[in-house]
Amino acid sequence: MSRKGFFTDSTVCIGCKACEVACKQWNQLPDDGFQFTGMSYDQTGDLGCSTWRHVAFVERPVPMPGHSTGVGDFSWLMVSDVCKHCQRAGCLEACPTGAIVRTEFDTVYVQPDVCNGCGYCVVGCPFGVIDRRPDDGRAWKCTLCYDRIGEGMTPACAKACPTESIVYGDLDVLHERADNRLRELHSQGIISAYLYGKDAKNQPGTGGLNAFFLLVDRPEAYNLPPDPVVPTMKAGQAWGAVAVGALGMAAMAVGAVLLGRRGDS
Amino acid sequence: MSARDGDDTFLDRLQRRSDGRNVNPALGTLLGEGAQQRVTDLDRANPAHGFQAQVPSHFVADTAEAPSYHGLAAIKQPVWIATVPAYLFVGGVAGAASLLGLAIDVLGEKSMEPLARRCRLLGTAGDMLSAGLLIADLGRPTRFLNMLRVFRPTSPMSVGSWVLALSGALNSVGLVLGRSRGVLGVTGKVAGYSAAMLGMPLAGYTAVLLNNTAIPLWQSTRRTLPLFFMASASASAGSLLSLAPHTEREAEVLRPYRLAGKAAEVVMAHAVELDARRAPEVARPLSEGLSGTLWKTSRACSLAGLVVDALPGRQRWKQVAADMLTTVGAVAARFAVFHGGQASARNPQATFRPQRQGHGAAEVTGHAVASDGKPWSFPLPVVR
Ligand code: SF4
Ligand code: SF4
Repeated sequence: MSRKGFFTDSTVCIGCKACEVACKQWNQLPDDGFQFTGMSYDQTGDLGCSTWRHVAFVERPVPMPGHSTGVGDFSWLMVSDVCKHCQRAGCLEACPTGAIVRTEFDTVYVQPDVCNGCGYCVVGCPFGVIDRRPDDGRAWKCTLCYDRIGEGMTPACAKACPTESIVYGDLDVLHERADNRLRELHSQGIISAYLYGKDAKNQPGTGGLNAFFLLVDRPEAYNLPPDPVVPTMKAGQAWGAVAVGALGMAAMAVGAVLLGRRGDS
Repeated sequence: MSARDGDDTFLDRLQRRSDGRNVNPALGTLLGEGAQQRVTDLDRANPAHGFQAQVPSHFVADTAEAPSYHGLAAIKQPVWIATVPAYLFVGGVAGAASLLGLAIDVLGEKSMEPLARRCRLLGTAGDMLSAGLLIADLGRPTRFLNMLRVFRPTSPMSVGSWVLALSGALNSVGLVLGRSRGVLGVTGKVAGYSAAMLGMPLAGYTAVLLNNTAIPLWQSTRRTLPLFFMASASASAGSLLSLAPHTEREAEVLRPYRLAGKAAEVVMAHAVELDARRAPEVARPLSEGLSGTLWKTSRACSLAGLVVDALPGRQRWKQVAADMLTTVGAVAARFAVFHGGQASARNPQATFRPQRQGHGAAEVTGHAVASDGKPWSFPLPVVR
């Protein structure tokens, strides 16, 4: 099976939230309640256990070339965020039960019947994607529509996207498409456009993302970390400290016993 | 109305003909992936935002230098409950006590044997209590067994579950068979000794469990937190053993042991602070808010515990006060680190700024650029 993924081009996103709705509908995700956040047109806030696609709305006092809004220096940035299906997935490497697996499509999948709700994947994800539902006790996230792509169908969000902002397909094809789009934008003068997380060279901390993005502002503006790292890359140092600490503990115990000896045995 | 043809009543058939309700209700069954979620409370599932906590138009979290998305957290907060920091303390005590028991067994004299037995008792009780605390966080006992389904070396949670399960089992065997004769006795001894060796990783892995996460405060203290936890475990085990009645003879072992542990704990706590302060935004929870209060309390108690214990004079009240202070300090430190991690997860700048400073992937891969290919000083709006 070839490697599948998403290419999300933020420059053509119109913020219609069709992807959010399609995802909720196909996967029959539970309702989150009705809340007014007051944060632009974003009433969802972030990705979570029952939100697997999330459209971010960034309002910024900077014009985009070729856009006229009539309200002065202003531009919209919208992007549909999703689980990145990382090449080195923090959630997968953290899961102690083997509930999180890599599928034949190279995506990252949580098996709900195996997950025991320890919540370790939640803190293992450097993007804050996966979450445990408090009243369900298990961790949930985007499956990249594992049930659809197995039947040769397109994931619900990509199918519903009216502007082709979300494109699903073979990773090689997506990479080529993204490179072409980037060249096109640069030639139009949008020189701030760049690809986020395309491959290991582009984002060494995750080994590249199967769901990567074309953005035109700093990652932080979209709530994406600028230099994420799978925590296990640094775990060696912590285990090293444990080794040193073990020597110290043993030395303290042995030393105390030797000091307490009187030679009266 | 039933889905199967055979069981519908005459009334069903009448209605179906008259109002066109010939829909198979089975079609309405939820079968999508997410439909497995059991929902009991809508709003609890999405508590992050709630109703407007502040007037959004007054909200100024973003600056050109350090933007964020509506000031929302960039990563998820840990979902653990208070039994987890409690476990961080109890597990450490159990590990350190078992190890001291082993040292006395191997190197000690005959008159120290009751102390060794008390060490093993404390170790075994600690292991059992630890398992109980973990199960309380997971929700039901079978889930602890589920943790032993696989062994995954990249997951300290998996490594730790195995260490805890093995040390609990071996310690129990050691306690039951330790005094038998013959083959059984040897088995008991070997089991007890193995459990004691596992005590060292048991006291240390709890720190790695926190270090191996995306939470800024926990990830950035990975060089020192394990040493702090292990020192603190020795100090608390020494203090708890000293609080229990013991003979003059045993005090000669306990005193150097707990003093060394207390001194190491005070030094390592300072090292943890220095480690976190490499990025000021990351260290902030150690001085502010609930976690800041807990951390300062714990530092004061630990230091006082060390000083009072080290003062000349061997009155019982003095030593009891010192050991109480040390224990309170060690417990408060676990809760401070736990709540500090939650606070640093809530603050998006604690995630973003260290990464711009080169504390993200750049620290291990040497690629000193962020994902947008731009260094920290890159001026915001480029679009002209
Ligand atoms: S984005 Fe997070 S949840 Fe998704 S695969 Fe990567 S680590 Fe796992
Ligand atoms: S919560 Fe479930 S999926 Fe996440 S690490 Fe624990 S067992 Fe694995």
